[in-house]
Amino acid sequence: MVSKRFITKRLLLLGPVLFGVATLVFSILHLSPGDPAVAIAGQRASEEFVEQVRSNLGLNDPLWEQYLRFLRDTLMLDFGQSYQVQRGTAVSAILRDRLPITIELAILGQIAGLVFGLPLGIISAVKQDTVADHLARVGALAGISVPIYWSGPLLIVLFAQVLGVLPTSGRISSIYFVDQTTGFILVDTLLNGNIEAFWSAARHLLLPVVVLGIYSMAFISRMMRSSMLEVIRQDYMRTARAKGQGAKITVMKHGLRNAFIPVITIVGIQFGTLLGGSVLTETVFEINGIGTLLVSAIETSDYPVVQSTVLVFAFMYTLVNLAVDVTYSIFDPRIDQ
Amino acid sequence: MSTESSHSSDIDRSLLDRLRASPFLEELLSNRIAVLGLMIIGAMVAVAVYARVAYDITNIIGTMFGTNPTQAPPSAEFWFGTDGQARDIFPRVLYGAWFALKYGTATVLASTVFGIAAGIIAAYYGDLTDNIIMRTMDVLLSFPSLLLALALVTIFPEELGLWRAVIALTLVYTPRFARVVRGAALKVLEDEYIEATYALGASDPRLLIRHVLPNCLAPITVQSTLNYGLAIIDIAALSFLGFGASPGDPSWGMMLSEGVERGLFAGAWWWSLFPGLFLALTVLGFNLLGDGMRDALDPRMRDTVD
Repeated sequence: MVSKRFITKRLLLLGPVLFGVATLVFSILHLSPGDPAVAIAGQRASEEFVEQVRSNLGLNDPLWEQYLRFLRDTLMLDFGQSYQVQRGTAVSAILRDRLPITIELAILGQIAGLVFGLPLGIISAVKQDTVADHLARVGALAGISVPIYWSGPLLIVLFAQVLGVLPTSGRISSIYFVDQTTGFILVDTLLNGNIEAFWSAARHLLLPVVVLGIYSMAFISRMMRSSMLEVIRQDYMRTARAKGQGAKITVMKHGLRNAFIPVITIVGIQFGTLLGGSVLTETVFEINGIGTLLVSAIETSDYPVVQSTVLVFAFMYTLVNLAVDVTYSIFDPRIDQ
Repeated sequence: MSTESSHSSDIDRSLLDRLRASPFLEELLSNRIAVLGLMIIGAMVAVAVYARVAYDITNIIGTMFGTNPTQAPPSAEFWFGTDGQARDIFPRVLYGAWFALKYGTATVLASTVFGIAAGIIAAYYGDLTDNIIMRTMDVLLSFPSLLLALALVTIFPEELGLWRAVIALTLVYTPRFARVVRGAALKVLEDEYIEATYALGASDPRLLIRHVLPNCLAPITVQSTLNYGLAIIDIAALSFLGFGASPGDPSWGMMLSEGVERGLFAGAWWWSLFPGLFLALTVLGFNLLGDGMRDALDPRMRDTVD
């Protein structure tokens, strides 16, 4: 059982960390040389006009005043309006549209990573130091060594241009209209009962998910391998074999279950990496998630968008890690103190 | 770990002697994956040094219109083809190895040094110092790494070029080292010889640098090696996203960015294929070595039980 104290303690720690994150983001933005007022007014605007824009945005106020205002607004979940990326739109609305896109991608990528990574890790461990093990390990390591921004474009050219079997970019063919309920396109198309649209969306998602999946597969299989290797040498495994149980059943029944625990941690940590990787994947596949949102907001000094996007990323990341620790302590009660 | 600490009682031995005596090196060299990694890295270092000596950087950056054909496919004359500025891609890709290793080394070195300092100080002084340092690290660790780097890179002036990426990534990686070092140092600090050294009147810096640090080196080395590949891939990623190398630089990230954006979908696949291949191979080298090292250091991975 997970004690309430453990969870409460972790939740209470979340506050200071997020406060630190907010402070850090605020400092970064105000240290960077980009001037949002110039970006909004345009390079050729008069000095007076730029000055007026600046004071309208409150950028002339003392820094501590801006900082307190930012903290207060963030606490009230008021993220302000976009300066540039979607000028005048509430940032919360932009995030509501775009966040599910990134989350859907990360979840699917993680599932793909598990589907390929777990068997690979198990084979590697059971056949330790054989050719199969070496191949699986080098293959997995090659997976994390290949940059997404290289493999992605090459896959697009191969499957979309040369073979012509998959679409090049975007989320769904433009002929379909999707009624947004959840924001997850695979779910929404199904809710609409539009199977054709679902397939279109699935075909669009295939390459980005594979690219992300390969990346997380490497970490998952590595973790699964070392965890499995440790478990295989435990006394209870020997006992099970001594009782006359077959090798396969022992591995599957006793080994897998115990070996899986550390893998949960890596799945959680990987989820954060996948969120980060979404910046590159979304850029490559022209998907309008929060990854591409952040890049264009940074390029245009869109302070409110950068601040809230980074905060959302950090919040999700810490929350996932918290969930991992809680799950972990359910599986392994010794951690719960 | 146990073998390490038994040697460490002999404090007069030089680091090199200790390394030679440790089963680590032997274990590492018998690990095929690590050896493969070492071979790849060795080859890349050779390529980098060769390119640095053989080519003049100004010739590599300058456009070659009129002299060379533009976007020519690989041929006997231009092994990797030419790019949109009519530059020969082959020497540029080789020179990219120099860039990658130079900036990658700078990043790893800086984050290792800062991480060691932060981790050891946190472990040794404990209490408030520990809390301040490690909570700061927690904040830095609560971002996906590339995202934080992306935000940080904007602080520094564009003139810094790739050094911008180096500074940003150093800040991003330092917490990881700090954590690893702190964990290792806490273990070492419990050992009795530390107390003995302290009783003999060693000063804090001497104690930390001469006695604690050498015994934390193993996990630090693994972390550095694994981070090397990541650093190279992240530096290139920042360049790809437009924060890092300047247009025309023979850095693999920049070549990829230009090659993908302007060449790939127009059929000039060679423009991005070769820089990417070299980048992936280099990163693979470090990942193989790091993975092999981790196994060599982990007694649980050794075949002693069966």
